Order: sequence, then structure tokens, then C-alpha cells
Amino acid sequence: MALTTLEFEFKADAPKSIAKEWSHLGVTGSGDLEVLMERKDLGGKTKAKVVTPVVGFDAIWEKMINKFVVENNVGDVSIEINDDNATPIVVYMRLRQALAEANAKEGEQA
Amino acid sequence: MKNWKELEASSFLDANARERALGMVEAGTFTEFLNPRDRFVSPHLPVLGTAVEFDDGTVTGVGLIGKHPVFIVSMEGKFIGGSIGEVNGGKMVNTLRLAEKAAVQIKAAHPDEYDARRPLVAISFETGGVRLHEANAGLLAHAEVMDAFQDCRHKVPIVAVVGSKVGCFGGMGFVAAATDVIVMSEEGRIGLTGPEVIEQEMGKEEFDASNKALVYRTTGGKQKYIMQDCNYLVEDKISDFYDVLAKVADLSMQQIEEMRRIGSLKLVQEQMDLVKLVGEMQPKDSMDLWKYYGNESPEALPEMSTAEFLKVVKRRVRK
Repeated sequence: MALTTLEFEFKADAPKSIAKEWSHLGVTGSGDLEVLMERKDLGGKTKAKVVTPVVGFDAIWEKMINKFVVENNVGDVSIEINDDNATPIVVYMRLRQALAEANAKEGEQA
Repeated sequence: MKNWKELEASSFLDANARERALGMVEAGTFTEFLNPRDRFVSPHLPVLGTAVEFDDGTVTGVGLIGKHPVFIVSMEGKFIGGSIGEVNGGKMVNTLRLAEKAAVQIKAAHPDEYDARRPLVAISFETGGVRLHEANAGLLAHAEVMDAFQDCRHKVPIVAVVGSKVGCFGGMGFVAAATDVIVMSEEGRIGLTGPEVIEQEMGKEEFDASNKALVYRTTGGKQKYIMQDCNYLVEDKISDFYDVLAKVADLSMQQIEEMRRIGSLKLVQEQMDLVKLVGEMQPKDSMDLWKYYGNESPEALPEMSTAEFLKVVKRRVRK
């Protein structure tokens, strides 16, 4: 009944951290999720923490976030996700959006 | 995230709580209280297996319009229907208390210039009321917000901003009614018991919640504007809501007091007269009341754009 918390570690080939110290994207709506990214010295690794009401999809979470980290060469970043039943492709899309937001120039954010 | 200029030009209805918060104050002036990085989540939801959010579904903070500090509370309807629990309720109450404290300090520091620097509170409601997972704390928050409103009275204007998808229902419908000024768009809705709940309890004969036209002409912005339940009706654009906030910030406290609907013996009598009128008239539809107040073809009003509507509409006359 209680929420599931999953923790993972990933490593990309040519890891690169985010431009901003931290950034946040999205809303924990039904079928959606929010992402909090923070720049952190993790020796090039990426740490991810997922809090979700869904049970039994640990391997798919790991695969999806790994795909995101490896394809986008993400590193030295801590990712935290609050999920409310998002599908894997929504997870991937939100992560890509969060990364774009974390690398946006200050002027674009104003 | 859109930049401020893009935000101002975009729809209020489609904007999330943080976008609305940023758009209701001047560019680059918003500072968030308890931002997502503070991870102030509800302690009750995980125990019940319900997803949490880092800001607990409400964005709070302060920004500027001219020299006026504008304290913002902005609710996110996508997170558990924008419901009010312990953490986001506490954020709301303390933002109001901060606004009152700021008013006292500004008055002491700038006694000659107080009117130009007077704080303002803007609450963007998008909620169905109490969060049932933590209902006692949620109810307590409602009571504390009402208390804080009373403490702010005659000092800090409180503006209800209603133009989001969920509308403003349940206990928060009462809370919105207790503010000084209400700004709505046509798409905004205020009520106590929501349409689905009325249908479920009293039957489709009483209220057909699937009839969207009926729902909007009973709870929507145009109906509230005719009945004088809302003070300003604007287009669904963030800049239109911003413009009203800027206008209200410069009004005198006397002018603001006159916009209230409840809170004095005279206003209670005005509300009692309305109850009496409805008892005698037995309207079958809100359009019967629109006609009573002098709108010859009430069925044309819902079809009009906001600008056309504002040109021709006849409202209830306040004493």
C-alpha cells in the first residue's frame, strides 16, 4: 500500500553535467510525474530516486532511465522523480524536457 | 519554461500553478517560498500509497507589481484535484501571515508612502476543497485561512483569481467568497458542492453535470459577474489577470472594502434579500435571473465573447 521508493545508479560514456545548479519540471498529475534535477559531484555517475505508487515495474524504470542517461550523456546529476502512474514513454519525454530546462540559458527562463 | 513575455500572452486556463505564480507579478521578481528543492511533501500521502509532490500542489511566494509586494498562493489542480492538506494549507496560511507582517513593517518604515507600497495577496484557486486523505488538517487550514483574512482586513487586500480547469469548489468556495475582490474569466467556476456531487446526491433531474452549458451558466464567470459575486471578468489570458491585480493594488482600502460580498450587517442583509428573491421567484435556470436583472435575451449571453458580453450585460444593482 505504501509508496515504493527505487534507487538507481547509471554511468554514460561521456558524461556531462547540467548548466543550472538545479531545475524542476512537471506536475505529479494522474499518468504524469515531476522531475527534480540537481548538479552533484558523483564522479561522472547519475543517481536516480523514484517514488511511485506502482508496484512491480522496477526493471522497466531502470531500463528507461538508463536509456535517458546513456543516450543524452548525462553525468554528475541527481534525479528525483515523484510519479503517479506515468507510462514509460511519458517518463522518457519528461526526463528529456527536464534536461532541456536544466540547460536553458537564464534569459530564456526570465 | 516559457519566458515572462510568452507567459503573459498565454492562456490562464492552460497554465500550471508555477506559471500562473510567475505571470501574476512583474518579470523576474518572483521568489518562491518552500520551492520543490525543499521537498516539503505531505507526510500523510505515502502511508496511504498516494503519490506525493515536492511543493504539495501549491506554489507560494512573493513578487512585485510596481512598489507593491504581491504575495502569491497558486494551486495546482492536476495534483489530487488541487485539494488542501496539511502542508499546502500551512503554506497558504503562512503566506497570508507574512503579507500582514509585511504591511505592518512597511507602514512603520514608510508612513508617508504606505499606499504606494501596500502589499497585496493574490490567490489563484484551483481546488475542490479539503484533501480527504488528511481531512482534519485540511479543514483546520481552511479555518486558519479565514482567520488570516480577518487579520488582513482593512490592511492588505486579498484577491481571489479564478480561471483554472478545476474551478474553486468545496470549502475553498467559502474561502474565495470571504476575499475582498474576485477576478474571474468566463472559464472560471466558483461553487460549494460541485456539479457531479449534486447529481450524485440529488439525481440528474436536479442537476445534470454532463450538461456543460448548464454547469457554466450556473457556476461560471459570466453568471458570477451578473450576480455581482465576482468584481472583474477578464479574457482567459495571464496578462489580463495581471492588469486587474495592478489596478486593485492602487485602489484605496475603502474602494476595496466596497467590493466585498460578506463581512458586515449591511452585506448580510443584501444576501438575505437575494435569498428572499430566489424564494419568491423560484428560478428554473440562472437565465431567469439574468432576465430579471434586465437582460432581454439571456440565451445570447453565454455565446458572446467576453468583450461583447461586458458591453451589453446588465448586472444586479447593489445598494
